[in-house]
Amino acid sequence: MKRFSHVAFLPIAVLAAACLLSAGCGKTSSASYRLNMVEATKQRLTSDQERQVATVLLAMFGTPDDPVALPETGLDEAKLRLASGPVRSDIVGRKNGLYREHCAHCHGVTGDGMGPTAAFLNPYPRDYRPGVFKFKSTERADKPTHADLLRILRNGIAGTSMPSFALLSEPQIDALAEYVKYLSIRGETELALMRAYFELDDDAKGILPETREFLVDEMLTPVAEKWKSATAAQIVVPDMSADIDLTASIAKGRELFYGDKANCVKCHGVTGLGDGQANDYDDWNKAIVEINKEVKGGLIKTGETSTSGMSAEEAAEHRQQVAWLGKFSHVLDGDALTPRTIPPRNLRRGVYRGGRRPLDLYYRIHAGINGAPMPAAKGTVAPEDIWHIVNYVLSLPYEFDGELGADRPMVARDRF
Amino acid sequence: MIRTIRPSNWSHAIACVLVAVTALLLCFGALVTTFDAAMAVPDWPATYGHNMFLFPWSEWFYGPWDLFLEHGHRLLGALVGMISLTLAAIVWRSRLSPAVRALAAAAVLLVVVQGVLGGARVLLDDKTVAKVHACTGPLFFAVAVAIATLTRKPSGSSVRSQATSGPSEASSLTSLSAGRTAAGLALASYVQLVAGAQLRHLDASVDPTTFRWLVAFHLVGAVVVLTLAIAAAISARMGERPAARRWSLAILLLVGLQLALGFGAWIVNWGLPSGWLPASWMFSDPLVARSLWGAAVVTGHVVLGMMILGAGVVLAIVSGVLASPRVGPATPPRADHLRERAFA
Repeated sequence: MKRFSHVAFLPIAVLAAACLLSAGCGKTSSASYRLNMVEATKQRLTSDQERQVATVLLAMFGTPDDPVALPETGLDEAKLRLASGPVRSDIVGRKNGLYREHCAHCHGVTGDGMGPTAAFLNPYPRDYRPGVFKFKSTERADKPTHADLLRILRNGIAGTSMPSFALLSEPQIDALAEYVKYLSIRGETELALMRAYFELDDDAKGILPETREFLVDEMLTPVAEKWKSATAAQIVVPDMSADIDLTASIAKGRELFYGDKANCVKCHGVTGLGDGQANDYDDWNKAIVEINKEVKGGLIKTGETSTSGMSAEEAAEHRQQVAWLGKFSHVLDGDALTPRTIPPRNLRRGVYRGGRRPLDLYYRIHAGINGAPMPAAKGTVAPEDIWHIVNYVLSLPYEFDGELGADRPMVARDRF
Repeated sequence: MIRTIRPSNWSHAIACVLVAVTALLLCFGALVTTFDAAMAVPDWPATYGHNMFLFPWSEWFYGPWDLFLEHGHRLLGALVGMISLTLAAIVWRSRLSPAVRALAAAAVLLVVVQGVLGGARVLLDDKTVAKVHACTGPLFFAVAVAIATLTRKPSGSSVRSQATSGPSEASSLTSLSAGRTAAGLALASYVQLVAGAQLRHLDASVDPTTFRWLVAFHLVGAVVVLTLAIAAAISARMGERPAARRWSLAILLLVGLQLALGFGAWIVNWGLPSGWLPASWMFSDPLVARSLWGAAVVTGHVVLGMMILGAGVVLAIVSGVLASPRVGPATPPRADHLRERAFA
């Protein structure tokens, strides 16, 4: 009998081990926003200043479980409540916590693009905090409209890990778009607050004034206004002539594509395969590349510098610099992903991240892609000529390309 | 010829029902996680203020999908609890071995713990409790499968074949080796389920490095499970137990399918791993979040993992990791054989 008595303990022992592992892996903590430590370190904020920024943001925006929308933001708090907090159903069976259910695993609770899965995705998930969005119907420097965000949520982004949320209801998608705006406004206000320390005069003693005039009128309102005015900044698109000769239009577009004015060939390559200049970064990655360079260069320089001939003041400054560089290096390890280049789009695949409608391509060519190396053709190419480029680009997946050595029209699939 | 009369085996029959209902319960549980429906019902043990068993079926059936999953999961959990208690009562009254009795007691303990964990997950809205709940489910399933396998009586033909030929010492050792490999496989597949539970219940505030390590662990675990499945199949093939051969081949097939589903689960969540594969392999259409197809792949990956665990337990037992479950006098195989010859 004794021989088998241990059997009952086996499942218990295995369960105990599983419990220990579960408690240790990604232990649940009450959700909180992470401070933008890369910017805080860049601005050389003291820990007191970091605390002040966190406190001010908490007062202005609340927490991930309990968001606050000041009237100046123009945000709808009811929509934010639907999207925020942990995933749960309310008393009428309506699902709350939509952001954490659908978005936070990639974009992070703070919207910093540093969710658990972020490192595996290419391109990395968008960091909303700088308030820069790529695919929109507004001019390059302007914010996207609410409708732009809704469209991206409904359609997803082809060729990336951003899925379509077409199976969610309209109110749910609407709430998510509102929450993305909220995180973006919060992130931009955080950046503004951190940069404001640099402009403080000596009387302020390194502390930001905690007055409504300063925090709301000077910091928050300018950020929120840009979102409110997005609809007015929509690109005016001239109608493409209904009786346009498509063959002639494509030929004209091809001419512009390879010409000096549009110069699309520089990045997208002579074949349109995206094999032109391919070593550039988008703004998010470029910022990290530059900081990395500064930190690594600084560490090498300070490592080579001898403190023996320095005055006490210079030595103290040197030590401060070494400590700052060390801190920055540590912050970059935990708060930034390894930078990646952004290859120009292969136009022969027929996959357009910002949307496949001719209108979407018009927006991309007219305003460029904010945050990416793709420049705006506005000002150098006439609006009606942009339609010719659109027609040429849309024809590229089906274009006969003698230069590639083919003796028949090639479809995109054949090119790989 | 005398027909082999098999006495009624209620314990085995009920254990089989327990395995079947638990499998369904696990499917519901996996779907609850896939659709993030754990908090679809905010109270526990009541459902929206109703006694769980008296909640209007029309509201359950025609209500929101999340509610259907969560309430269904609760009802099935209660059913599994009742079957476990019945099984334990029958096992304790029977002449079954201490191993089976111990497992039946463990099953009751686990099902109670699991119920409390499920309630705590809802009342505390805590993901750590959810992870432990997800780890207990497969363990209970493994115990139920072990009981069902150990209570199964060997068929007349297999008893006869053992009585006439008798396994050689070498083949016994080979079978035992297959059994130990299968036990290792069951343990490894359980560890994989635990790792999978950590990935599926990951808190959104976890940093990318932790997630990366968990993924790496899960991938290494997949290689270990595959290796053990191949080793078990080779050992079983060298042994003389047909059941072990069948189960080891089934496991190999399941593991192959599981690898495909694991890759599929990655794709439906995050697309093709860009940068590791040519850009031309990227899908031209975006993924669709919460699609039925995606949910089926992800949930299937979890459920198949549990099936591999169950099959590993069966293989370990049929390979002789645990000796005969029955105590007390049994009809000697030789007498059975003699009776068949004399009265045929």
